[in-house]
Amino acid sequence: MQQHPFARAALALALGMALSSAAHADEVALKSEIDALRAEVAALQAAVKQMQAGQTQAIAASPAAAVTPVPVDAGGSPSHASAASSAVATAPPVARDDAMAGTNFWGYGELNYNHPTDDIGDTQADLRRAVIGFTHAFDDSTRVYGEIEWEHAVASADDQGETEVEQLYVEHSLAGNYGVRAGLMLIPLGLLNEHHEPTNYYGVELNFVENAIIPTTWREGGLAMYGSTDAGFSWNVGVGTGPDLGKWDPSSDEGRESPLGSIHQELQLAKAHDLSGFGALNWQGIPGLLVGGGVFAGKIGQDTPDFPADGAQLVLGEAHVRWQPGPFDLSALYTRGTISDTQALNLTYLGQPTPVPKAFWGGYAQGAWRALEWGQSSLVPFVRYEEFNTGAEYAQQPPGFGTPALPTERVWTAGANYYLNPNVVFKVDYQHFNYDDEALGYGNRFDLGLGYQF
Amino acid sequence: MPAAQALEAPSPASLGRSIFHDASLSASGQMSCASCHVPARAHAQSNTLAVQAGGSNLDVAGFRAVPSLRYLNFDLPFFFEKDGTPTGGFNRDGRADDLIEQARRPFLAPHEMANADAASVAEKLSHASYADDFRQVFGADIFADVETTFLAAVFSVASFESTARELRPFTSKFDLFLHGRLKLSTQELRGFALFNRRDKGNCAGCHPSTRQADGSPPVFTDYTYDNLGVPRNPEIAANADPAYFDLGLCGPDRIDLVERRDLCGQFKVPTLRNVATRQVWFHNGYFHSLKETLHFYVERDTDPERWYPVDAAGVPDKFDDLPAPLRRNVNTQEPPYDRRPGQAPRLNDAEIDDVIAFLNTLTDGYDAATGTADPGRDVVSP
Repeated sequence: MQQHPFARAALALALGMALSSAAHADEVALKSEIDALRAEVAALQAAVKQMQAGQTQAIAASPAAAVTPVPVDAGGSPSHASAASSAVATAPPVARDDAMAGTNFWGYGELNYNHPTDDIGDTQADLRRAVIGFTHAFDDSTRVYGEIEWEHAVASADDQGETEVEQLYVEHSLAGNYGVRAGLMLIPLGLLNEHHEPTNYYGVELNFVENAIIPTTWREGGLAMYGSTDAGFSWNVGVGTGPDLGKWDPSSDEGRESPLGSIHQELQLAKAHDLSGFGALNWQGIPGLLVGGGVFAGKIGQDTPDFPADGAQLVLGEAHVRWQPGPFDLSALYTRGTISDTQALNLTYLGQPTPVPKAFWGGYAQGAWRALEWGQSSLVPFVRYEEFNTGAEYAQQPPGFGTPALPTERVWTAGANYYLNPNVVFKVDYQHFNYDDEALGYGNRFDLGLGYQF
Repeated sequence: MPAAQALEAPSPASLGRSIFHDASLSASGQMSCASCHVPARAHAQSNTLAVQAGGSNLDVAGFRAVPSLRYLNFDLPFFFEKDGTPTGGFNRDGRADDLIEQARRPFLAPHEMANADAASVAEKLSHASYADDFRQVFGADIFADVETTFLAAVFSVASFESTARELRPFTSKFDLFLHGRLKLSTQELRGFALFNRRDKGNCAGCHPSTRQADGSPPVFTDYTYDNLGVPRNPEIAANADPAYFDLGLCGPDRIDLVERRDLCGQFKVPTLRNVATRQVWFHNGYFHSLKETLHFYVERDTDPERWYPVDAAGVPDKFDDLPAPLRRNVNTQEPPYDRRPGQAPRLNDAEIDDVIAFLNTLTDGYDAATGTADPGRDVVSP
């Protein structure tokens, strides 16, 4: 397989950072890390005291009045390390009465404004997401975790909004450092799929690679095991439902926008004959550094009668690295997916605009700099370059009937996240596209956004 | 044997099959459903007349060409989509909401079976050879009330139409191709691609060629309506009156949408399964060959004088089967209709031949051994 420039770049970045770990431990960076940890410890101590006090006092009638603000990240910028340890751990505890003991509520949301510079008539403002989450601990080792999301403000039969259960699983700790989950879970691929809260990424919109290729937010129903080691490794493996290739619509643009996003099932009456497996491994043995990758694979024909691609196999792999030396936040990711046995199926789609791709890929590199910081506020300019192709290759067809590969889209994004505090962010950016495609939303644009989490 | 008895026991569907083929239920005693919806012709007409004649003497001219009854069971009651698109319904103007309502009309239509009323149908049924089976299924006193008898009859026909495999066999060459069991020829594949391509035939825009949402094979209709500006057909007797216009959704047969002038001229998009076996095409049966029909699709706007009457100055009376104020309703936006005189048609002659080769793969009853298709192959004798 030809090695893509992005794969080479990600590899070089990972190697470079491994070799420069000594440099990372320089005095300034180390002091910064220690200061951040001290701040977190102090905040946690305050939270514990307040919880203890809450248990001996009458709780105010309004649950909201009992919320204890706890800084999520004393550094002022989103930290994958803290997010990777699970969003549950970062969610502030909420003191409740006895009936609700062990139950926490949390949430996040974002409002976006997109202003295409060429087609200004398509300028749009949207309440993109509003999410309410909860956890309930049944005991010290078992809890249920759920997340309910509303998209586009209004969800009804006559509107375009959606209401969806994005996660709902039970987690049981088998020991201090590993456990098992069952239910509707996020697939642990990439940097954002499991941590897609708006305060956790730069730019108003998610990067295209982790939207078009890794179909964020990607979740499946199934069973998984997770754990971590003292050496800084964390792992997650599982088996569960997968996409349904029978859902492919060759007459729509959805498959070009996101091949897997158009056929994932989201555990909605999901066909479950063909199960898929996934695995992810991350290493955080050096403070500020994250190196990892994952793979998702499975049959996606779902044993549909007379379906010419019943044996189709999906394999999607990705590798990522993130390095946060001092005020900098550098990351890169490369991902590539393949779907086998699509020749006969695509022949039944002849002349249609969107056949099933044999291969699709994407990669990006991103750099951010916490340039200004005052109190809990900070300003973080960033720049990102990404390349992706949702139809990089198609199965061979009889002469004259083949489908040419789609052009590779290249997007530059430059802008800034302004954190009013670590949990409220204002965003601004400009995106430059290599080519326009109105149906897919590709076109130079100016974006504004507001996001929060609690 | 109990199993055999169960198989032979009369049912609404088996009675429906008998009624479907029973000419004695018409005023003339010579016309059954099967007279116009000939099973061996994919349940469409077998002659080349634009419209059929009925009535007590079989001399009352009809108004519209005979549609195939195949694959109708997938249709839905008439409704408007959220964007206002009229969808679903039975008959070419969608005025019947289900097969029961649809089956009722021909029994009483003066230009079809021409019974005076339900009582007339009930009386004929009571003398039918299967009258005892009718009593066995619907009760010994079924013939006591004429309205109930008539309802039982049309219910039976609808049961037959919605359950009989021969009316939805999915046994075409295309079905075998869709299941990966055979390959289409190069010409058929070329035609298939041209059929689907939005910049060429764009036929799939109204006649989808992909599996339905539930995974079942395509029926080649999206159940919507379109106004194609088909030329006025002098073979239809009613058209001798220059004031008469068949406007489809907005009348004269359908009366609930008369005020919707924007819908005037729209007729239901038919399935294209078995389209190559038809004798006439379009709602008014104007065309008598498939090739001519496809030429009209792509040359209507590039070469209108070929299709419409031309005045002394050589100007074609385009869309002449619509009153002048309603001609703006004709679809002129989407390919292949978005052309102007002087421009090349979306399909050339060779490409039309390719599309026809593909359309021939939609004929039911394909036999891979002989390479032939016969829509009568799956039909069960009455």
